[in-house]
Amino acid sequence: MPPIGYIDPGSGSLLLQALLAAILSLPFVFRRTIGGFWHRLRGERVDEPAPSKVRSSDRSNPGHS
Amino acid sequence: MIDPASFRDPSGYVFRRDGILYRAIQPMASADWTAFEERGLAGELINDGLLVSHAPVPLDLAPLPGAAFVIQPLEIALISYPYEWAFSQLREAALLTLEVQRRALGVGMWLRDASAYNVQFDRGRPILIDSLSFEVADPSAPWPAYRQFCKHFLAPLALMAHRDLRCGLLLRDFIDGIPLDLAAGLLPGRTRFGGLLPHLHLHAGAERRAQKMQIPGVATEPSAPRRTRAMSATRHLALLDSLRRSVEGLRLEPGGHWLSYTRHSSYSPQAAESKHQIVERMLAAAGGQVVWDLGANVGTYSDLAAGPGRQVIAFDQDPSVVELHWRNLAPDARESVLPLVMDLTNPSPALGWAHQERRSLLERGPADVALALALVHHLAIGNNVPLPRVADVLARSGRRLVVEFVPREDPMVQHLLASRRDIFTEYSIDGFRAAFGERFVTLDEAPVSDSLRTLFLMERRPA
Repeated sequence: MPPIGYIDPGSGSLLLQALLAAILSLPFVFRRTIGGFWHRLRGERVDEPAPSKVRSSDRSNPGHS
Repeated sequence: MIDPASFRDPSGYVFRRDGILYRAIQPMASADWTAFEERGLAGELINDGLLVSHAPVPLDLAPLPGAAFVIQPLEIALISYPYEWAFSQLREAALLTLEVQRRALGVGMWLRDASAYNVQFDRGRPILIDSLSFEVADPSAPWPAYRQFCKHFLAPLALMAHRDLRCGLLLRDFIDGIPLDLAAGLLPGRTRFGGLLPHLHLHAGAERRAQKMQIPGVATEPSAPRRTRAMSATRHLALLDSLRRSVEGLRLEPGGHWLSYTRHSSYSPQAAESKHQIVERMLAAAGGQVVWDLGANVGTYSDLAAGPGRQVIAFDQDPSVVELHWRNLAPDARESVLPLVMDLTNPSPALGWAHQERRSLLERGPADVALALALVHHLAIGNNVPLPRVADVLARSGRRLVVEFVPREDPMVQHLLASRRDIFTEYSIDGFRAAFGERFVTLDEAPVSDSLRTLFLMERRPA
């Protein structure tokens, strides 16, 4: 059964998506295979680090006016 | 009663019966719903707190015949909308959406839509509330919600990070997300050379070209994209990974231009301590489960109001202040405090088709308690709102009210009056008592020591 989507995906958007995905899949596959193997050899994490949490030094504490 | 906002997606609808929220699933979506349950995706997302939980209920609860399933989703207490979120809240909602999509792809399904309105904040965490967003994927076809994701999440986040935090408010005008050509035009040129190039700038260009081609007589129709076999499971994951990197690459640097200013207290330590004690006492006496802290700033008093069994929505008009408040909340404090962007002089209106898709602020009230500290003088003198009208809106905001009156002699009021003519003859504690006395009964009153200010606990009169 075909998907029953109800939003308009946009024809230009669909074409671009297919093009981008084809290009992006090359480095993506590389990172998951050869790149991942290389990082593991060097004892590094395969994934990029998650975005850092806000550090306590970022905090400020202004009061009410 | 069928929810008037529930009409876009024909695969189901939301309704209320005896005040309880239900969702009916139509036969056209029953195969997808069954796959969603049987492939274990529903259970996994619910267990991990990514999707609101639901229970099956008898079909005859549905107001219309023919439903294939009826479920009772857990209802989120505090409904908020993307144009009320701080940058980090919208970013968290975007990453949630991508993570849900990633897990769905893992079992051969995907999100049919990627609307920011499908996300709510529940006890401090973004959660998907549309259990009916999943369908069996066709991995050889493009993801139909790609454009919607970019318009609802990537475009506003990019504008907030690279142009101005206030751009998040554009979502109020564009209910289906910020048009990509508008976002591309507003973004600084340097963003063309980074993570925003593919999904935003090239995307906007692709849409423009497609629109030109669709004008009859100008050019031939583009090939039906639905039938392209250009995608694969790996390509979907690669696209998703790239979207995630683009979103994660959008950050507000601490101390950057977005933090325009911080507001400073005008209290002596003694006055601050006195105010703290009085507010704490009045809030305890006020009771209730939902508190609206109006003009919350970074939430100094929201923390006092929050606690077990009590949820606080902390409104402030400044997106950078709301961002700071959200960042500074500890994980356990986020469970009971939700900071939101709201300009009380122009609060969120009812939006969408027939003004019924998104509710206005006051339609979402009243709270059990409204907290209005250091607020009334900003409304009355900063915005020329007569005191009786201030009382009127506060009476629609909370059944009980903890309110601070700051007299004309106070340095903060003098500061407001410094650059303008003093036309506020009614602005006095007697004028305040008279105006608020029309709407409220005073239950408690206490002067803040070492200051000229007075705090009141009031209960609104029956309408």
